[in-house]
Amino acid sequence: MLTAITRAFRTPDLRNKLLFTLGIIALFRLGSVLPTPGVNAQNVALCLDQAQAGDAGNIYGMVQLFSGGALLKLSVFALGIMPYITASIILQLLTVVIPRLEALKKEGQAGTAKITQYTRYLTIGLAVLQSTAFIALARSGQLFPSCKEQVLLSQEIFPLVTMVITMTAGTAVIMWLGELVTDRGVGNGMSILIFTQVIAVFPSELINIYRLSPFKFVVVMVVGVVMIGVVVFIEQAQRRIPVQYAKRMVGRRMYGGTSTYIPLKVNQAGIIPVIFASSLLYLPQLLVTLFGNSSQPNAVIEWLAQNMVRGDHPIYMAVFFLLIIFFTYFYVSITFNPPEVADNMKKYGGFIPGIRPGRPTAEYLNYVLTRLTAAGAPYLGVISLIPIIALAVAGASQNFPFGGTSILIMVGVGLDTVKQIESQLQQRNYEGFLR
Amino acid sequence: MIIGISIALILASALMVLLVLLHKGKGGGLSDLFGGGFSSSFGGSSVVERNLDRLTVITGTVWFVCIIALGLLLKP
Repeated sequence: MLTAITRAFRTPDLRNKLLFTLGIIALFRLGSVLPTPGVNAQNVALCLDQAQAGDAGNIYGMVQLFSGGALLKLSVFALGIMPYITASIILQLLTVVIPRLEALKKEGQAGTAKITQYTRYLTIGLAVLQSTAFIALARSGQLFPSCKEQVLLSQEIFPLVTMVITMTAGTAVIMWLGELVTDRGVGNGMSILIFTQVIAVFPSELINIYRLSPFKFVVVMVVGVVMIGVVVFIEQAQRRIPVQYAKRMVGRRMYGGTSTYIPLKVNQAGIIPVIFASSLLYLPQLLVTLFGNSSQPNAVIEWLAQNMVRGDHPIYMAVFFLLIIFFTYFYVSITFNPPEVADNMKKYGGFIPGIRPGRPTAEYLNYVLTRLTAAGAPYLGVISLIPIIALAVAGASQNFPFGGTSILIMVGVGLDTVKQIESQLQQRNYEGFLR
Repeated sequence: MIIGISIALILASALMVLLVLLHKGKGGGLSDLFGGGFSSSFGGSSVVERNLDRLTVITGTVWFVCIIALGLLLKP
């Protein structure tokens, strides 16, 4: 690991990429702590302290996690990557429903670029909506229900509009920064930005726990390390389906005859199901926050407030778990298409030993994948429920630093980025070797 | 003064959103968020993209300066 880093910094072109990425991350963090003009930063800090003392801060758990604590600070980058993620989820779901999008997706690279462009437009739209919502919440004092201080400096309409537009532009800037990292840096920009935000909450949370009791701190560290180990183990786990390519004679030369394998990961869907499920479960909380204070409580809202808002409620946990399992299967079916893979294999003269090419192969792949996912989906569910269980049992905070989602994000993005650096290093060395 | 900078900030923000949307989206959406394949982007950016980049950086700087200036002016 360490040698890989030193080697990475010795190759000039990779070094530039790494430094570029670090620079973008620094800019990103700077924007996340810079308060939007018009926000009373001192009062916000006061309210944040109060909210953390009570449990009111947990309302926005997931969003807060993705924004690295920037959201409740009402900083310039308060919305973080959440609008982009939501937009991606919406378009991802819509590709199944709307035929035109499905056609675009099948078109290949050009179609995907078009979908990406739609995602970007939708992101800005969502950013306008969300920033308006949060500024409105802040204005009416509902952002911190228990806090009496005035969060905004002015209640007039012009400064409020300025703030909304600034935050929207902030989201656009984040999107651009992410794309810059994807383009010129290391790894996938968006996931690196999420990674940064997840990591950013770490030190303060750890210090909090240490202050509460050093014993708990040690327990949390041990549990965390063990969990990281488990997650790495399962993320790397894959079933290798052997594929044999037939030998072909073209003129006097032999082609093919190689044997490879199709790697099917146990957790083929990655972290996305968890993000989908959390984003969906955030909706009832938002509804309750928006409509919960009316004088005539609606029966639905009341039920939601009782069962869906508190993270340690059994119904909430069950719904979360089921949603994750559903989305795991859903996402695997989107990303891996057995008939397509089988067709491609047939085209190039490949086959799985003992299984005929074409439809039987597709059926076999589907069978294996379904069984693998049957193990992968509960794994995702259990890992993401761990912090909630910890909350119920030990009374830890919901932003429990080694929470399931944070660990999944950390490990997923970390593994991915390291692999990409590694592959670039190999590219470099291979080139040097040939010369 | 405050109103002037506010208007400048609004203009810079609008321009920023516009410029970012003009860029070609480089991220492949959610599909290669978290462990997709490695998207290899060959070929440098075109002249248009490079000029757009320059313009975006300039606008971004103006935007940033506006935020800080307004923040300092509005300080209670």
